[in-house]
Amino acid sequence: MLLLNLRMKNFLGLLVLLFGLSLYKGQVQNNLTLVNYEELEMKIQNNKDELLVVNFWSTTCAPCVKELPDFMIVNEKFKNNPKFKMLLVSLDRAKDKEKVIQFIKKKNLTTEVILLDDIKRMNTWIPRFDKNWEGNIPVTILYKNGEKVHFNDGEMSKEELENTINKNL
Amino acid sequence: MKRFKTLLTAFVIGFSILSFAQAGKDDSQTSKENTDKKGYQVGDRATDFELKNIDGKMVSLKNFTDAKGFIVVFTCNHCPYAKSYEERIVELDKTYKQYGYPVIAINPNDPKVQPQDGFKEMITRAKEKGFTFPYLVDEGQKIYPQYGATKTPHVFVLQKEGDKNVVKYIGAIDNNYENAAEATEHYVKDAVDALIKGEPIKTTKTVAIGCTIKVKK
Repeated sequence: MLLLNLRMKNFLGLLVLLFGLSLYKGQVQNNLTLVNYEELEMKIQNNKDELLVVNFWSTTCAPCVKELPDFMIVNEKFKNNPKFKMLLVSLDRAKDKEKVIQFIKKKNLTTEVILLDDIKRMNTWIPRFDKNWEGNIPVTILYKNGEKVHFNDGEMSKEELENTINKNL
Repeated sequence: MKRFKTLLTAFVIGFSILSFAQAGKDDSQTSKENTDKKGYQVGDRATDFELKNIDGKMVSLKNFTDAKGFIVVFTCNHCPYAKSYEERIVELDKTYKQYGYPVIAINPNDPKVQPQDGFKEMITRAKEKGFTFPYLVDEGQKIYPQYGATKTPHVFVLQKEGDKNVVKYIGAIDNNYENAAEATEHYVKDAVDALIKGEPIKTTKTVAIGCTIKVKK
């Protein structure tokens, strides 16, 4: 009985740990930071010693919304690697901030999400991210130590994303 | 002990549901988009076309014998960026048609992928918004790739030079899709004004966020 109890305790401990982890896994942000282009650029460049996956999307963009679950699955695979980070950049309007926060909760977006609030200067910042980017979304860019290593124009499948990460990690 | 076991069972069930829900398996493959994005550069000769208008008639650039050029706008019904520019597109047509630069709107989307962009829906939308210009269907999606349109809205300002239509400006209408009154750069207006005056266009290419063109799968 004592042995059983001990096992039970261990098992329970493990369960609590797993349960806690699963809660942590499902953690989503309750707020949304608005940044301008320079702030976003700085945030990207400050990611030293990391592979940073930046996805540009919007709640109004159907192909963007469609690929996000795959991005979350890939993020789950890599998130425990200290050299990996994923950042979702929403291009929704600043006045739709609440809508984006609700979307993050509903879709359980567990990566960091920020909103790029700089619509008047699109013609300035779009080419700075990549000269071939015409402004269509989704777009995914990978940065290693703050330097761009991959630009993906359009949707990305789970396999493509995973392979590109593995190649650059 | 029994209560403990019940609790444990509840825990296990709860946990499995949670982790199952989070796995959120969705293996649906996204079809890779056409990566050929060449299209026109400023200075290139733009192709004419024969596309169906919302009134059922076929429209070609060569039909506009009095035109000095065109404001070709790839746009559609469903896209929020395109929608927010509708009134400005009507305004462009009203302003510049009299100078010989009418708006020609083309919907490049496949209605099977985006049902809101179907032919009937185009007719309704044009009525609702009081379109004063042709609103054409890019049937078979052959024209937009030639122009190199990548999104909606996407504007190509053309100038007639002899029997050619030469691309003079490619890009956005202005720099504020959200609020026309707050736009500080009016790219298309400035480009067409320059053409009318016979002056060089200051900004010949711009980029802006828009909706991807919905390609037939």
